[in-house]
Amino acid sequence: MPTPIDDAAFEYLLARAGLTLTDAEKLELKTVCDGIAAMAERVRKQRGRMAEPALTYGFNEEDVQ
Amino acid sequence: MTAAIPTIAAAARQIAARQLSPIELTKACLDRVHALDNRLHAFVHLTEERALAEARAAEAAIMAGGPKTPLHGIPIGLKDIVDTKGIPTTCQSKLLQENIPDADATCAEKLAAAGSVLMGKLTTHEFADGGPSFDLPKPPARNPWNTEHFTAGSSSGTGAAVASGMILCGIGTDTGGSIRGPAAYCGIAGLKPTYGLVSRAGVAPAAFSLDHIGPMAWTAEDCAIMLQALAGHDPRDPASAKRPVPDYRAALGAGIKGAKVGVIHHFHETDHKVGEETQRGISVAVETFRGLGAEIREVQLSPLQDWHACGSLISIVERAAAYEEWSRTRLPDFSERMRTRLMLGAFVSGVDYLQAVRRRRELRDELKKAMAGLEIVLTAVFPNEAPPIDALPKWDVFQQPSFMMPFNVAGYPAMSVCSGFGAGGLPIAFQLVGKPFQEATVLRIADAFEKATPFRDRRPPAPGPTP
Repeated sequence: MPTPIDDAAFEYLLARAGLTLTDAEKLELKTVCDGIAAMAERVRKQRGRMAEPALTYGFNEEDVQ
Repeated sequence: MTAAIPTIAAAARQIAARQLSPIELTKACLDRVHALDNRLHAFVHLTEERALAEARAAEAAIMAGGPKTPLHGIPIGLKDIVDTKGIPTTCQSKLLQENIPDADATCAEKLAAAGSVLMGKLTTHEFADGGPSFDLPKPPARNPWNTEHFTAGSSSGTGAAVASGMILCGIGTDTGGSIRGPAAYCGIAGLKPTYGLVSRAGVAPAAFSLDHIGPMAWTAEDCAIMLQALAGHDPRDPASAKRPVPDYRAALGAGIKGAKVGVIHHFHETDHKVGEETQRGISVAVETFRGLGAEIREVQLSPLQDWHACGSLISIVERAAAYEEWSRTRLPDFSERMRTRLMLGAFVSGVDYLQAVRRRRELRDELKKAMAGLEIVLTAVFPNEAPPIDALPKWDVFQQPSFMMPFNVAGYPAMSVCSGFGAGGLPIAFQLVGKPFQEATVLRIADAFEKATPFRDRRPPAPGPTP
């Protein structure tokens, strides 16, 4: 179960994103932060350090010509 | 509204035989726009003069040398996130009300090269957000089967315009279901192709790695005709696949005897249980396929919630990144819904995002293994017929997992197919999913279902006044 976000962390993340919100918007957003945290928990699995992401960078033939 | 709206295939045959004039066809579509669009709000920008000029040019060319493709002289529409040279492309946003691109998106260019007639730009929710939104520059599209109900989003105008016969086909885009959703709620056919098959160049992004461009039309065959014009490599799109383009109509009508069809029962029976009528539609599909000689198998995947979480996190972050500059400087200019979606990006860390992208590889590999030996898998599109447009929860993304998102996560081709009508008289649908670049198989199986059932014979009634 993810830990609910506290006010300081909430304000820090908004400031870091450069978002200026009204008090009403902040209040509403706080109600769904747990939903995001639950999704973030759901994608974490025991997969070890070697598991690659879906998108990896590669070179095409034209890159080397 | 039921009078003589042809499919593309039928119209193309008549045009080739000089039995149907592209000018008369275009005028008939324009008549429907003038009669219906004050209630359906499918168009944000009607290009009437251009459409008539293109229809005249098409007719002259066809009379001189025959049609160059089955789309020659066919009236189409483009979702208003598709760049069109010299025509406003607003993305239904206050931020782009004055935007007139100086070049066509690749998909617009290809449809024009095929000889189609551009009727105009079709409404969406802002920057292809799923909607509904009521504070956009133009009102949201209304469902032609019942204008008090939602079209789904974000290719809402395309869904409404095709279903009501204002155009014969149109472009949709799909980041988490925005082709298949409006196709399902509006009772048409909509195909999200394999990621990379249709170029994204010149189309406003929603989430780079989940965005797909594809056809929306009345039938699977019409989607095949449209896909034929759209598919193919484009160096302007870094994700564009370099693969030969097959003839998507070649196998239509060849039957599906012996085809292996998988059903992901747990998606729609356990993970997100659908309503009785949608379940009945899925059962009709399964029994129809069995009756046509297909073999039905059960498919087991990770819970739908895993796919939904993976796709949603990626979507939130990629959208926030695409629109970060405007979020920081012009946030109040976005619609309320888009603003809240953009804010979510602040709460997904870089590590969260990359864990989702690692999960994505696992899920895609899982689907690949599950589909070994199968041609296609089947599940729901939505749990029920379209709800009232003002009854949707704002934060639905956290409430119920999407049946469509798994196939944006995997990048596999997926199609919405009408499977009947619910108690409210609105369409219901099921979803067919093929292997990468096997659109021809998806279309062949969808076409077989359409031809074996009566659901393509019924068009929406004339709409009442929009509330």
